[in-house]
Amino acid sequence: MSGGRGARRGVRGVLSLAVALCVGVPVGATAQQADVRANLAARGLPPALVDGVVAIVTDAASQGLPTVPLADKALEGWAKRAEPQRILQVVQQFAGRMGEARLAVRAAGMASPPGDVITAAAEALGRGMNAGQLGSIVRVNRQGGRLAPGLRVAAALSAQGMRMDQAVAVVSGAMRRGRSSDQILDMPSIMRAMQAQGFDAPEIGRRMTSGDGDHGEGEMGGHMPPPPHRTGGDGPEGSVSSPRGGA
Amino acid sequence: MSGDQFTPDAQRYLDGGLHGELPRAEQVSAERLLRAAESYRDSLAAPDASLDDRVMEAVRLRGRRGRRPEVWRWALESRIRPVWVPIAAAAAAIVMWLALPRRGAPPAPPVLAVAQRSDTVFIRFELAAPGAHTATVAGSFNGWDAHALPMVRNTSGTWTVTVALPVGEHQYQFVVDGARWQPDPSAHAQVDDGFGGTNSVIVVGPKGLVRT
Repeated sequence: MSGGRGARRGVRGVLSLAVALCVGVPVGATAQQADVRANLAARGLPPALVDGVVAIVTDAASQGLPTVPLADKALEGWAKRAEPQRILQVVQQFAGRMGEARLAVRAAGMASPPGDVITAAAEALGRGMNAGQLGSIVRVNRQGGRLAPGLRVAAALSAQGMRMDQAVAVVSGAMRRGRSSDQILDMPSIMRAMQAQGFDAPEIGRRMTSGDGDHGEGEMGGHMPPPPHRTGGDGPEGSVSSPRGGA
Repeated sequence: MSGDQFTPDAQRYLDGGLHGELPRAEQVSAERLLRAAESYRDSLAAPDASLDDRVMEAVRLRGRRGRRPEVWRWALESRIRPVWVPIAAAAAAIVMWLALPRRGAPPAPPVLAVAQRSDTVFIRFELAAPGAHTATVAGSFNGWDAHALPMVRNTSGTWTVTVALPVGEHQYQFVVDGARWQPDPSAHAQVDDGFGGTNSVIVVGPKGLVRT
């Protein structure tokens, strides 16, 4: 008798688990879509546009792609008063690029890239990095800790005027030498400072690739220009810098 | 301004938001206060360059020291009702089962890490737009909300705002008079935004940006 009761209890447990999974997982996905829908509607996007974006987001979620950047892209387009059709095109294009980026990252040996890596890789592809260059950064850092910052910095250095292959070599080299995410994130500022002091992009890339310019301890030495002025103190909190524009 | 009370205009003047627009008496008092404040600031010894690092290290150490006793106290003093044990175990099993990679099934949608680190850095945005009536900053850090981050105009027609940003890459544009989106030429880079415009890009490290 007690054995039969135990078996029934076991069956009941398995059934409860199955019900919880059947209900819980779709509810999670639906809740995510509801959040996106509510967020877009709260910013005043018309219902038809919201529906279109949510459809793309749902499809991306079903493929395991990040959804937040898609909603953000829609909000950006709406804030800039782009045509709804154009907004949907851009969001769809970014979703497709995230899919390509994930394939490229996987092909380079990272089986399950996290969302921030997929997003950074997609943006890098959009700025002219090819799958081979992307893969060469991934292969240096398959564990992923510095991967998203590395991809973003390589893309930024390229946008600052460095050739993409050189930017990729600079970032890969810094990772290989054990530079931290923080040090890698400083590179665009370093490049900016060196440009202001008259160095051209290839020369900056050469110095950074050889380890002179990635501000590793003791590496700036006599090869580097005088250290740039850093505003607002050196603390992680309280540093004030000044992007300045003009109208 | 009467006695020690300042009018809102006087307060704005002291904050740098107004210049030459106060009644004469208020302006004299405000300028006297500003001179006193500057004199006091000049009398202070400048902190050495490593102060920020030392303070932040002390805060981190304090946080680490403070947490351990809490954990031990919880472990030693907690009393868990037996009925919750199998429920908690089942919940943990479900969570682990869901977290395991499964062949053939797409992975669960990853949660995007918007901020890669908890560190934040204060960044001051500046826009020279003497003829503008309003100016704001909209970007990836505030959901591209053109109203979320208004800038303050100073006497020379330069608009500024300081904002705490997580370290990482951020894209943004200035929005002038509520409608005119314009990139920031002093940003690290400019990229196509996909909507016919150009986003400015800054990559913020833990030590802020470098001004040249």
